[in-house]
Amino acid sequence: MTDLSSVPGAAPAGVRKPRSLYDVDALTKRRNAAEFRFKLYGIVAIAVSLSVLALMLFTIFSDGVSAFRQASVTFPVTLTEEKLDPEGNRNRDEMSKVTTIGYGKVVSGAFAAYVTERGLTVDGLDDDGMGDMLSRDAAAQVRDMVLSNPDLVGTTVDVTVLTNGRIDGYLKGRVNREEALRDKNVTPEQLDLTDKLKAEGILTVSFNWGFITRPDASDQRPESAGLGVAILGSAYMMIIVLVLTLPIGVAASIYLEEFAPKNWFTDLIEVNISNLAAVPSIVFGILGLAAFINFAGLPQSSSLVGGLVLTLVCLPTIIIATRASIRAVPPSIRDAALGVGASKMQTVFHHVLPLAMPGILTGTILALATALGETAPLLLIGMVAFVGTHPSAPIEGFFEPATALPVQVYGWASRSDPAFLERSSGAVIVLLFFLLIMNAIAIILRRRFERRW
Amino acid sequence: MVNKVNKMLDDARLKDRTMTGTDIKITARNVQVHYGTTHAIKDLNVDILNNTVTAFIGPSGCGKSTFLRCLNRMNDTIASCRVTGDIRLDNEDIYDKKVDPVQLRAKVGMVFQKPNPFPKSIYDNVAYGPRIHGLARSKADLDDIVEKALRRGAIWDEVKDRLQAPGTGLSGGQQQRLCIARAVATEPEVLLMDEPCSALDPIATAQVEELIDELKQNYSVVIVTHSMQQAARVSQKTAFFHLGHLVEYGATGQIFTNPKDPRTESYISGRIG
Repeated sequence: MTDLSSVPGAAPAGVRKPRSLYDVDALTKRRNAAEFRFKLYGIVAIAVSLSVLALMLFTIFSDGVSAFRQASVTFPVTLTEEKLDPEGNRNRDEMSKVTTIGYGKVVSGAFAAYVTERGLTVDGLDDDGMGDMLSRDAAAQVRDMVLSNPDLVGTTVDVTVLTNGRIDGYLKGRVNREEALRDKNVTPEQLDLTDKLKAEGILTVSFNWGFITRPDASDQRPESAGLGVAILGSAYMMIIVLVLTLPIGVAASIYLEEFAPKNWFTDLIEVNISNLAAVPSIVFGILGLAAFINFAGLPQSSSLVGGLVLTLVCLPTIIIATRASIRAVPPSIRDAALGVGASKMQTVFHHVLPLAMPGILTGTILALATALGETAPLLLIGMVAFVGTHPSAPIEGFFEPATALPVQVYGWASRSDPAFLERSSGAVIVLLFFLLIMNAIAIILRRRFERRW
Repeated sequence: MVNKVNKMLDDARLKDRTMTGTDIKITARNVQVHYGTTHAIKDLNVDILNNTVTAFIGPSGCGKSTFLRCLNRMNDTIASCRVTGDIRLDNEDIYDKKVDPVQLRAKVGMVFQKPNPFPKSIYDNVAYGPRIHGLARSKADLDDIVEKALRRGAIWDEVKDRLQAPGTGLSGGQQQRLCIARAVATEPEVLLMDEPCSALDPIATAQVEELIDELKQNYSVVIVTHSMQQAARVSQKTAFFHLGHLVEYGATGQIFTNPKDPRTESYISGRIG
């Protein structure tokens, strides 16, 4: 584009005709046109990338925002003693012999009775049909409530339970009547009742805290699936990655940049680090499976192993970023420190490192953000498993099975019920939210440390 | 040519220049410096006197800065640099295996071409050296050292009200004087200056030169300069470097008025370099 040699039509070498500044000659015109075209390419490129980003955000948000709202019904349940506590002695161990099936009958019966009592019955919808509108989670929820407080038996309490995924989907516009005719999980009559319950205020749609706090749920209960375990697992892994990569990465970079002799061996190390940064992360997953689980015997699916594998993924990136920011510190600062008699170590820790800090922190947080979104290596070390219970608090929580946000996205996206697709997009929103927070922290830290006077 | 030298002499007031020191502070014998395959300093011998300003002059790339950096082993930081020969400070071999360059640099301070204050406060800039060398026992001690150094750097009056202000916020000339104050705060015995005025305007240059003249009361000052006028103005001894050789070394007046080597004469009269 910028061809400096022989321009056709130019004056013979060394001779320049006198001409007015107001006349724009052909060469200048061509240069201006080239510049204009270049700017145009840039604008087009930015417009394309922005529109792709907008499209991506639009699809994710239009699919996923509804995951943050959830339909639930509130009705009174009479916790009859003969069914829930046949022995009548309020002994938890004996009460727990009553399974969710028993509770399910009580709950759905109570719901059907309440609907009938309020005169909201729909023709063609029997008691079982009404009970099916509730989530399969409702029975477990009431059972947990009773077992934690056996004195409730024999009383009538108002409970708020989730509706099943189809009813929820109907309220969010995902399920319609035509589909309901063909769908054996939901009938048009149930949808009619849903409309009536909603008008009566018995059925409400509210913010879905359960989506953020609850663990994953089975295929039949999309309405009660949540991200709690995934968020905890991701948080635990980020803690492990941060604690391991920052000291190791920074120490390695300082040594390589400031202390190591320059010879073939350090050159080899440098080439290897650059290559490691380009290794596909799934390879680190295989390594983690072989080294941490099979050889070292660490518990699989645990956030400890996940964190260790992600540490391996992050380290090369952090070392490269740290070395670059150490190298960007002007040599005159090192000269100044050495000149007043500081040792090498004092020079590095008093002067070079503080000046390199903004770059190091930015690099670290961006590497962490990549690690947060990393899926492939976690699949190999078993974090894709269904984990129904929250891991406990650190440190023992690090050894317990957990899953991670991107893995949860992957897991839900591959399930058949469309309600899980909504959850999957919702999980992406949560993931993006965390990434945004991390990038914001990176910017704040950089501003704070970059006060170079 | 004659006119030019006369003018320079007037400028430099060479006549009233007297030697203030006679003791030898640094001796260099058969010094060779290689950068990889480049032979930068060839067989150099020189004696640098105490309480004297010694100027190194010569065209670019002649090795004067390289030799200066040998005197406090700053060349150690350059991996490809190899120094052989014998350099002694107070008759102690500074390249001896037992010598820690950190201790050497506390004795032999250095001021660089470009002002390079730390991105810290003025106070911390000056206090850094005394702190790491443990020269102050208390905060009051340190305050005294900082004030004394800033006074010697002829910058105290300008900064005494803003010691906590950033050192990098000063003007170029002030920054360089701050760097000189920082260098003298560690109480060195020799002060090396690598073209300290090349980034300064004439007024700041005059201030720094005046300062150098005062510093020779306490230190042996070695200054590398591209300005022959400056060499003539501030130094008592001058060494002329050319292509890695020390061509001529003698009293400044003699070098500028009566050079023995034709190369020195050519350089001084502007024919080479």
